[in-house]
This record gives sequence, structure tokens and C-alpha cells, in this order.
Amino acid sequence: MEKMSRVTTALGGSVLTGRTMHCHLDAPANAISVCRDAAQVVVAGRSIFKIYAIEEEQFVEKLNLRVGRKPSLNLSCADVVWHQMDENLLATAATNGVVVTWNLGRPSRNKQDQLFTEHKRTVNKVCFHPTEAHVLLSGSQDGFMKCFDLRRKDSVSTFSGQSESVRDVQFSIRDYFTFASTFENGNVQLWDIRRPDRCERMFTAHNGPVFCCDWHPEDRGWLATGGRDKMVKVWDMATHRAKEVHCVQTIASVARVKWRPECRHHLATCSMMVDHNVYVWDVRRPFVPAAMFEEHRDVTTGIAWRHPHDPSFLLSGSKDSTLYQHLFRDASQPVERANPEGLCYGLFGDLAFAAKESLVATESGRKPYAGDRRHPIFFKRKLDPAEPFAGLASSALNVFEIEPGSGSMSWFVDTAERYALAGRPLAELCDHNAKVARELGRNQVAQTWTMLRIIYCSPGLVPTTNLNHSMGKGSSCGLPLMNSFNLKDMAPGLGSETRLDRSKGDTRSDTVLLDSSATLITNEDNEETEGSDVPTDYLLGDVEGEDDELYLLDPEHAHSEEPEYVLPQEAFPLRHEIVDTPPGPEHLQDKADSPHVSGSEADAASLVPVDSSFSLISVSHALCDSRLPPDFFSALVCDMLRFYAEQGDVQMAVSVLIVLGERVRKDIDEQTQEHWYTSYIDLLQRFCLWNVSNQVVKLSTSRAISCLNQASTTLHVNCSHCKRPMSSRGWVCDRCRRCASMCAVCHHVVKGLFVWCQGCSHGGHLQHIMKWLEGSSHCPAGCGHLCEYS
Amino acid sequence: MFVARSIAADHKDLIHDVSFDFHGRRMATCSSDQSVKVWDKSESGEWHCTASWKTHSGSVWRVTWAHPEFGQVLASCSFDRTAAVWEEIVGESNDKLRGQSHWVKRTTLVDSRTSVTDVKFAPKHMGLMLATCSADGIVRIYEAPDVMNLSQWSLQHEISCKLSCSCISWNPSSSRAHAPMIAVGSDDSSPNAMAKVQIFEYNENTRKYAKAETLLTVTDPVHDIAFAPNLGRSFHILAIATKDVRIFTLKPVRKELTSSGGPTKFEIHIVAQFDNHNSQVWRVSWNITGTVLASSGDDGCVRLWKANYMDNWKCTGILKGNGSPVNGSSQQGNSNPSVGSNIPSLQNSLNGSSAGR
Repeated sequence: MEKMSRVTTALGGSVLTGRTMHCHLDAPANAISVCRDAAQVVVAGRSIFKIYAIEEEQFVEKLNLRVGRKPSLNLSCADVVWHQMDENLLATAATNGVVVTWNLGRPSRNKQDQLFTEHKRTVNKVCFHPTEAHVLLSGSQDGFMKCFDLRRKDSVSTFSGQSESVRDVQFSIRDYFTFASTFENGNVQLWDIRRPDRCERMFTAHNGPVFCCDWHPEDRGWLATGGRDKMVKVWDMATHRAKEVHCVQTIASVARVKWRPECRHHLATCSMMVDHNVYVWDVRRPFVPAAMFEEHRDVTTGIAWRHPHDPSFLLSGSKDSTLYQHLFRDASQPVERANPEGLCYGLFGDLAFAAKESLVATESGRKPYAGDRRHPIFFKRKLDPAEPFAGLASSALNVFEIEPGSGSMSWFVDTAERYALAGRPLAELCDHNAKVARELGRNQVAQTWTMLRIIYCSPGLVPTTNLNHSMGKGSSCGLPLMNSFNLKDMAPGLGSETRLDRSKGDTRSDTVLLDSSATLITNEDNEETEGSDVPTDYLLGDVEGEDDELYLLDPEHAHSEEPEYVLPQEAFPLRHEIVDTPPGPEHLQDKADSPHVSGSEADAASLVPVDSSFSLISVSHALCDSRLPPDFFSALVCDMLRFYAEQGDVQMAVSVLIVLGERVRKDIDEQTQEHWYTSYIDLLQRFCLWNVSNQVVKLSTSRAISCLNQASTTLHVNCSHCKRPMSSRGWVCDRCRRCASMCAVCHHVVKGLFVWCQGCSHGGHLQHIMKWLEGSSHCPAGCGHLCEYS
Repeated sequence: MFVARSIAADHKDLIHDVSFDFHGRRMATCSSDQSVKVWDKSESGEWHCTASWKTHSGSVWRVTWAHPEFGQVLASCSFDRTAAVWEEIVGESNDKLRGQSHWVKRTTLVDSRTSVTDVKFAPKHMGLMLATCSADGIVRIYEAPDVMNLSQWSLQHEISCKLSCSCISWNPSSSRAHAPMIAVGSDDSSPNAMAKVQIFEYNENTRKYAKAETLLTVTDPVHDIAFAPNLGRSFHILAIATKDVRIFTLKPVRKELTSSGGPTKFEIHIVAQFDNHNSQVWRVSWNITGTVLASSGDDGCVRLWKANYMDNWKCTGILKGNGSPVNGSSQQGNSNPSVGSNIPSLQNSLNGSSAGR
């Protein structure tokens, strides 16, 4: 994408215009330096040494200083610097230890001026004195710094750092005689140019090499240093001891650091490995770069601000053989893209919310620029450098705790803990669960449980009773109703359960089934006539039906050799008849269609589409009136389970699935069931409901689920006598020939919780001991000890 | 109703992410100050910082918890181009006595060449896996083959998205019917309007992730993306934070109808779209049942969205983000109902929009 923005800055006499642009170099650059008129830049590298003119639209090669037929090592530059006083004067540091000066004013093609071959190893840095025209400083790998007077043939003075290699030397802008040097061992030294014998001051600035340093241009005695430890530190050198005033954490070792002109707290950095970007930091916001230039494809080796009083143009040279002019306005701003907020939903419905403070501050408190993304801080800063810093952002962290009730997930925990899923007759389970749901204020769920109970447990008239109740008084009367229910339906409930048990047997005979259902119906019939709330017309009609059925069933009972599938077929015409006979209350007429359809097709499954359009109430009427087999509803129930699952209430889906067991299982595909189970178990585990989760796993019929408990559960047992691990042969120790940890009460091996008296060391099953202690306080083992359990 | 509990996070810069653990009893925050803090909930419900350490050498964008089955494990990702996996060390030490826990770095994932913008652990049933996405537009999926060894992660997949990625979300469904799926959002702000949300699905046959869907209607930068917890649903719900809040449903078209082997086809519907934040929406987060969505935007508010039985999504609450009494009481005008109190206003949906501005 072409960046078309253009910046024009008027600076005293000169005017800077430009855009983000680049040019290709012939070779990787090692260093760049800008002429003081900001119109030319010199690029130096191992095999390149050129001067480019910075024009409005492009870089134009002005001069190639690499002349001569055979390449000299003297031309392999590690560093280059352009004198800030003299437009014609340049100095380079060669990798072979030579310091070369160049005079562009020379008429010949070779502009080389002087050659200083005093350093033994690579010269890492050269630096002109900011105000003195003839003073040049060099720092070398050999550990020495040398000061040259360009009017003389050799160095004026040599400074020995007494540490390792010198990586950077920089004349102070504040003090005429002072320069700073940085070393590979992490030290920074401050020297007086007049006193080569010892340094003024030395301190350890970084962990590992200090690659670069830069004096603050605004005469404040601030020195920025960058090191391999990925940090840029800003030191106040004006105080007696160098004081670290800022520390910027970058993401890679810092190879170059340059203060940004006119922006007191900004500096640019680049790295010598891994990271190819150039960053501009606000030292007061040390963690996030204010701007980032991402153009280079390889390590950036040299950076320079184009003009000492213009903060918008940055030049950079790179190992990828390009020279860039970056426009600050085109920089990407990580701060802008950074997400100012964090939000997370907790388990019970709590919300953790962290937000930038300026965002959550109130209208009146919000300053127009403070947090506003559209007016980044650095533009403001340029206008008014004295303005207090507003860019250091912080976040407010809040946890919104949900109060119990409104939308909290506590219902889930309560429900999971209190639901009964097995171990009791279906009717009781349904009633219990309905009660639990109702007490937790979940009326729809409660109603569902009641419906299930009606569908699967009580093919009598009781449902009608219930229905009338709930229709008349609304769901608020649920509890007393349920109680009366329980009393009434105990017998049929049990009856149906026994029927269920029998139906599971493979060798079931019709005789038994018919017999039991017949007795069942008789029971209910009796009860129903006792019931007083039921309107008589319903009662009559239904009793009529019952009688018919009873009547009809009896002959069948006689021919008990009939194959079992005959029964449902015969049941349908019968029901058909019944519905036709009672001249109807409207709810019966409502679904008069249903039996017709069923009559014509005599197939339970085909009824579903018709029934699913009915309200649940009418369906239950259909049930009680026409005595459909529970199978008839299974498709409907499955739809209901799916509905609950889609509503996010997988608890209901799984609970019903478990409670109903075989009745609906076959109608829901295995994969869906498994999905529900895993989802529910996962939820239970989230709430640390391990026991419930285990129960669900145990009760699940899906093989993939029930094997969850078998996987990766290993029990290691040591003998309590010899302390050795017991072999896999049961609970008897091979060595001691004894059973491990016997219960003193039941004399069986304790495989779970073992409780023992610390006095006599006898003990046993927790429950057994508790029971024992109710009766006696003596040890059950008969040792006579008065046991104490706490 | 909600009660705001303000926590002095003491991060030195912006907090970019908060994350509850599996059981909701621990919380991790990460910040531009390069540190991650872990907060534990005490019996009384207070949050105590039990660990705070420097994790990266750049802004930490995201922090996320692994399933506790794998231990107390965190993953973080950062501007410094790395993602890291951290494990809490249990042992007797002085730290323990001071109520501090110790976290050690188990691995650093250094494959990205640009800022790693999001990291997410895969659903537990897939094993110990995590996905990262980075500004260079590549989603990387790592797996620890040995769950006991958190220092060994192998790069399993690299998915190129062609756009700078900002956020990812795993489809949490544990159903065998749903292949592993990952949704990727991009915050690329370049003007050419390209779809900013892509969905990749694992193909069992090719053993690769292939693009299953692209949400063509989302063309603005996407800041966050989140699949709703799939509790036995046959379809998936995807929330997207862009210049507004959007909720999509993805119904897998039954396999029998499509040619087998190819990626699953989805019927995609946008079920809700809200611009009530009046600005960029930064975060979306689902409650654990996937029935309520919380979103937060530049207006500094959290809004809660819930569907009624007709599948109409409505705003059911607005939480003002400033729990701090200083900002809240002294400067607030009477326009705001939460003046002078720590209790943010929870308003009903229909008249709720007035509090936002």
C-alpha cells in the first residue's frame, strides 16, 4: 500500500518536505549519518559508501565515495559520521581499525583526507565534537578511545577504558569537555577530554554489553543507553551519581538509540538481531512503543533523525540493502491497536472487567485528549512540551459479583445436588425433581418433570386431576398438589415400576404384562371414583373408557398366547372408539383429529407431527383420555430434550435421559447423548460437583461416558503391616499372609475410607464405626479400649 | 443485580485481558507492563494477588488458563513475538508462607515473526493443545504430546489467514459430530473490505485445517471473537466484537446431504447485531451456559445480551465500568444513576440505552 501522506516543516530558513520513501542500496548498510542541512545522507557499509540527496519524492545518489580499483579494507565501514559544523567533513570507522576522514571539498574523485591507523582492532564508533571543528573521537574493539585533532597526523590523547571493548563514544552536548563511552561489559564511563589518565565516573548500566548511548539534545544531562539486555535506560548525569530516571523494555537487544528532536521524552531504537523494526518510545510509558516502523526486512543498522529540530522524519538504513525515510505520521501505533479492555464471564455469572481508566471515567472527567484514540499523545506533545504527561495509561479492574438469584448459576449447583436420578421408582424421581425445580423457582422445568411423570408412570386419570389443578390455580399451587399426588399415586407408581422391571426381562410373557396392567387400571379406577375434584363428565367418559378397556383386555387375558405386538394394534381402534363416544367438551374435540390419524395409520410414530403442534396440555389430555403407550410420546420427549439442550440447559436433558433410561434412549442417537453427557459432566466438574459428576458417569448408558471413570484410575495399595506394596492378588499381603486393614466391626477389608482410633489403632469402615459408637464407646475389636474419635 | 468489587490491580500499564480459570476461583490478568498477575478468591470473596511476575519483554496481550486436568497452567502471548506456557510450582517455600505462589516458564513458542495477538487452549477433549495467532496472519496450533511434559510443544499446524489476526476462538463442542474448529478474527484496518472472520475446520482425512467458512458480512476490524460454550447444542453460536456486537449461529448442514470428506457446510445466520456501544467493541465473553453474552466497548460499559424464547436477543443489563468511588462520585453528574455508589446500574433492556452515553 502506498503511503501518500506528505509532511512539510518549516525550520528557520530551510523547509523540509517529504514522504515515506525508500531506495535500494547495492549492499547492506552498517551506518548512516545526515548532513547538517538535512538534505543529504551518507550510507556506509562493508561494501558501500555513498551519499544520497534526500529529495521530495525520492533518494538520489549524489556521490560514491568508494573509489579506486581494488577494494581496500579501509573502505569497509563500521560507522560513519557527518560533521555537524562542516558540510564537507565526514569520518568513517573501518573494520580493520583505521579511522578515515573525508573531505568532500576535494576536487579529485578520491575524497579521502586523513588516515589514522592507531587502533589495533575494529573501530566501532567515531564521533565529532559538536562544536569544535577539528576534534574527532573514536572507540574501538581493542578497548581504547582516541581523540584526534584533524590538523595533526596522529591522536592527541588515548583513553584506556580498562574494561572490555568500546561500543560507543558520544560527546556531551551539555559539557564541552565531556564524553561518554559504553563498554561490552556493561559499563558506562564518563571522561574529561583533558584528562586521559582516568575516567571521571564509571557505573554499570546494563547486564551485558552496552551497545549505544545518546545524549539528550536539550541540554539536560540525560544520557540514554541501550544494551543487549533489551533495555534502554535513561540516566541523569547532572547529579553527583548517575541516576536511572527511566527504563524502557524493548523486545530485542538495543543496537542504536537516538533521541527524537523536539520531543523531550521520545527516543528511537533499533535492534541488531531478530527484530527489524524501528521503534519510537515515550520513556514515560516504558512498555509500549509510541510508534513503530515496520518496513525493513532485515536488521536495521543505522537510524538518524533527518533534522535536529524536526521530529517527523526518520532515516534508517538496513542490512536488507535499503534506505528509508520514515514519516512519523505513517508509523503504526501499537498503542492504538492495543486492546484497552479485558472482560471475562465467571462461573456463577460474575464478570471481571478491566478497562482503561480514561474509558470508564465519567464524561466530565474525560479530557479530550487523555484517552481519545483519535488524538494520540505525541501530536499533542509537539504542540506543548510542557504539558503534563497524559499518556501513561492504567486500567481499572472490577469484578461484578452477581447477587444470588438474578441470573446467578447457583440454581445449577442446587439442582445438580438435589436432583434424584436413580434408585427410586420413576414416579418418585419425577416428583422429587419437579419439587426441586419448583423450589428453585424453575417452573417450566418443574412442569416438565410432572409431564414426564404423567406420560410414563400413571396411565390413569390422575393426570387429569393434576391438570385441572394447575389450570385452575396456576403453578403457585404446585407444592401442595404434589403432596397429594404422592400419597395418591404411590401404588400405581410402584406398580408401573414393577412392570418396567419385568418388561426388561427377555422372557417376558404377555400374560404377566396384561395382568399387571389390568390390575393397575383397576386400582386407578377405584382411586378416581374417590377423587372429588374431577368434573363428572370427564369422569364418566374416562371411566367408560376404562371399563371398555378393562373389558376388552380381559378376553385377551384369556387368549394369552397372542404375540406381543398384537397389543398395540388392537389398542388403537379401541381408543378410536372411545374418543368418538363421549360427546365432547371442547378440549376433546380439539384433538379429535389425532385419533383419526392414528386410527388410519395405526402407527405411533406417524402421530408425532400432528401432536407436536399441540400444546403440552392437550397432549396430556390425549394421553389420559386415550391411553397412548409411552412410546407414543418418546419422539415428543426427545424433541423436548433437544429443546432444553439448545436452550443451554443440558442439565435437564441429561437428567431426564438418565431418569427415563431405556424409555427414550433408543430414540436419541448415541452421538448426541454422548455430547450431552460430556457437556454436563464438564459443567459439573467446573462447579466441583465431583460426586454428582461421578454419579452421572455411573448412570450413563453411553459406553464412551461410562468408561471415563475407568480410564487412568490406578489404586496403589500398601500393606498396613509390612508397608510393602501389595501385589495385585486382592487385598491379602503376600508377605504377612494377612488381610490389610480389616474393619473391626464387619471383619471385611476396608477399601474406602478407613477410620481408626489413635489409642488402640483399631478401626474400620467409617459408617460401621459410627454406628458402633452410637451403642458403645468401647473398641469394637474387643481390646477394651475406650475409643475416642474426633 | 451485580455488586462491583473494585480491585487495585497495580498494573503499571493497561490491562489487556482478564481470564477466569475453569472453576472460577482464580483469575489472571495481563498487562502492557509485561507482567501477569494471578488472583485467588478467598473464602470471603475477596481477590488476592498471589503471583505477579514479568512474563515477556513486551505488552502481554492475552492470558488464558489450561484445563486443570493438566495442572495449574497459563499461557500468555505478547508483543515480543512469543507465546509462553507457565506452570505453578507446588512446593514448600518461603513464597508459600507469604501467600505467594511460584510460576515457572515451561516453554516459549518463538515461531512468530510478529506480535502474537491471541493464545487459546483447545477444548480438553482434544488433549493439551493450544493455538496462537499473530499479526502476520498465521494461526499456529501446538500440541504437547506428553501432558506431563509441558516444556515440549510441537508445532502441528500453520494456517495462513492472509490478514493480520487479532483473536481466535476454539469451538468448545465436545461432540464427536463436530470436528475441531477454530474461528479467527482480523483487525486489519486497511480500507479494502475483506471478510474479517474466517473459520477453519480440521479435516480428518487430510489431517489439516481447511477453511470452512468466511463471514463475508463482517468487514470491519474484529477485536474479539468467542464461540459460546456448546452444551449439547447441535449448532454453534459465535459472538464477534467489531464496530458492533454480532451474534451468528452456525448450523452444520447434515453430513448425509453434503458430499462426505469435504469441510462441513454451515447454514450461517446473523441472529443479533447491536451498535449500542456507539463505538468499537473490544471484548465479548459468554457465560458458561452460552445463554448470556457480555460485551464491552469504548463507552466503558459492559452490556449483557440474552435471547428470549423466540431467539430475539435483547440487552438485559448495562454495567458501568467505573467501580472507583473517586471518579464515580466526585465528578459524576446527576445524569448517571450510579452516582456516588459502587453499585453499577443494571437497567432493563428497553430504556437502557440512555445510560451509555
